[in-house]
Amino acid sequence: MPNIAVFIEQRDGTVKKVAWQMIAKARTIVEAAGGEVWGVVLGDADVGEAGAHGAHKVFQAKGDALTTYNCEGWSRALATFCEAHSPDLLLVGSTAMGKDLAPRLAARIDAACVSDCVGIEWSDGFTIRRPIFAGKCYADVKVNTALAVVGVRPNAFTLGESGGGSAVTESFDAGLEGFVPKAKVAERQQAGGKKIELTEAEVIVSGGRGLKEAANYKLIEDLAETLGAAAGASRAIVDAGWVPHANQVGQTGKTVSPKLYVAIGISGAIQHLAGMSSSKCIVAINKDPNAPIFKAADYGIVADLFDVVPAFRDAIAALD
Amino acid sequence: MKIAVCVTQVPDSETRINLAAPASELDQSGFTRVLNPYDAFAVEEAVQIKERLGADCEITAITIGGDKVLETIKKDCLAVGCDKAIRVNDDAMIGADSMQVAKVLAAIIKRDGYDLVLAGKQTIDGDSGQVGPMLAEYLDCGHASVVTKLELADGTFTATREIEGGAEIVTGALPAVITCQKGLNEPRLPSLPNIMKAGMKPQETVSCADLGIDVPPAHTTVTTYTPPAPRAACRIVENEDPAAAAKELARLLRDEAKVI
Repeated sequence: MPNIAVFIEQRDGTVKKVAWQMIAKARTIVEAAGGEVWGVVLGDADVGEAGAHGAHKVFQAKGDALTTYNCEGWSRALATFCEAHSPDLLLVGSTAMGKDLAPRLAARIDAACVSDCVGIEWSDGFTIRRPIFAGKCYADVKVNTALAVVGVRPNAFTLGESGGGSAVTESFDAGLEGFVPKAKVAERQQAGGKKIELTEAEVIVSGGRGLKEAANYKLIEDLAETLGAAAGASRAIVDAGWVPHANQVGQTGKTVSPKLYVAIGISGAIQHLAGMSSSKCIVAINKDPNAPIFKAADYGIVADLFDVVPAFRDAIAALD
Repeated sequence: MKIAVCVTQVPDSETRINLAAPASELDQSGFTRVLNPYDAFAVEEAVQIKERLGADCEITAITIGGDKVLETIKKDCLAVGCDKAIRVNDDAMIGADSMQVAKVLAAIIKRDGYDLVLAGKQTIDGDSGQVGPMLAEYLDCGHASVVTKLELADGTFTATREIEGGAEIVTGALPAVITCQKGLNEPRLPSLPNIMKAGMKPQETVSCADLGIDVPPAHTTVTTYTPPAPRAACRIVENEDPAAAAKELARLLRDEAKVI
């Protein structure tokens, strides 16, 4: 009868979608195995919909120390919660915050830590499936401790049918009175506009060396905008300085698994394929019919990208 | 200033995993091992800090591994500017999990005392990204992970770390642990004369017993490695007219794949 706690990540009151996905997954596990799903939220946020996604209860701590993310303080707050309620599993989104927080928390409470989970099995103990080598292979990881802190990749689990349930919110004391962290976030800089984050995007359009020069990356950005997609890039054009490294998809960049991945002018080096091969549907546009990208793709067009991409964008825009 | 750079060896990014069916072990026979690419940013950052500070700075590369790691330590750490190296060579650490690695690294860092600990943000084989923040917890110091810019002044650091669609500026006191992300710097390549000279730099090899630590049992165990599900063959949309092919592709994505 495992009790599963889910960290509900929020910044400025906005909750990350992965939190609801984790709650929905946790609910399916406890439906079969017994136990409860507990949402845990630090700081001020409206988490009223947690119950509808499957949480039985929500625990919330508020206070000055919880208005801005701080790894030392927030890991202490979650440790306080875990010590008081002894969950068997604590799920944390594999986001910038979650990846920073989960290992420090796990070290603090001597719990197992598993990153980038894409599958969870319960059978008298948890086994976590996660990609390694950026997705060239999957590892099933057995947890040897009473509590595991597990990072869950965004979009690995889908939201269930909303159960329409409601969860009682109980407040708890994070135990941070008088605590002074050794490092803190002094400032947060958010890029302007509504740029979609690669690791959270449902659709990604990526460009590679076939674009010939930096200015032509605009073709990728324009198509991405039409599709409501994030814009990605191969290592080659990141290393050439055409686009920032934050856009890089691959083994030394971001590992992504969107619904649709469109690779344009990308030959498909193995380290790039590793980073995107778990995408649900892959489209390749490349003039070289022998490019390895076509082996990974579901749909392809063998032609000059400069002829295809503007027409493809028009065709998408013209869809009903 | 004393800087520790935690480094490890990984199969290079061109590595193919030969795995036809689920297995309890990975066939590592064809692997070419290199310095973890993110650790190269940590080494380069340390060397650039030393270049700014002058002689009053010492860089120690710390690693865990068998004899195979020695070439990487020499060529990619000592030959590019690290002053010395410490290697933990202990059978107990074969297949260690992040907790075990962080505990052993913490033991060395506590023994010697460092002002700054640099590491890669993650390895490119395990991909966990756990060791840096765990190490900071064991050392009871501040940290910043996934850092693309680092400034030091008067016993403090200011680090820019990558977050979704932006950055966080993290400030804190030294000692601290910083994990390095691509974009922080451009790692230099070792010159041949420096590779020759690197063999003369001090290298210490220790066991866990030498460090006085009893490594706790692993918190996690990999039971099975599974290859990704195979993909169906690619459907090439053929048409003499690229614009017509593009139109057909858009239709297929909507009506057949149902992804737009």
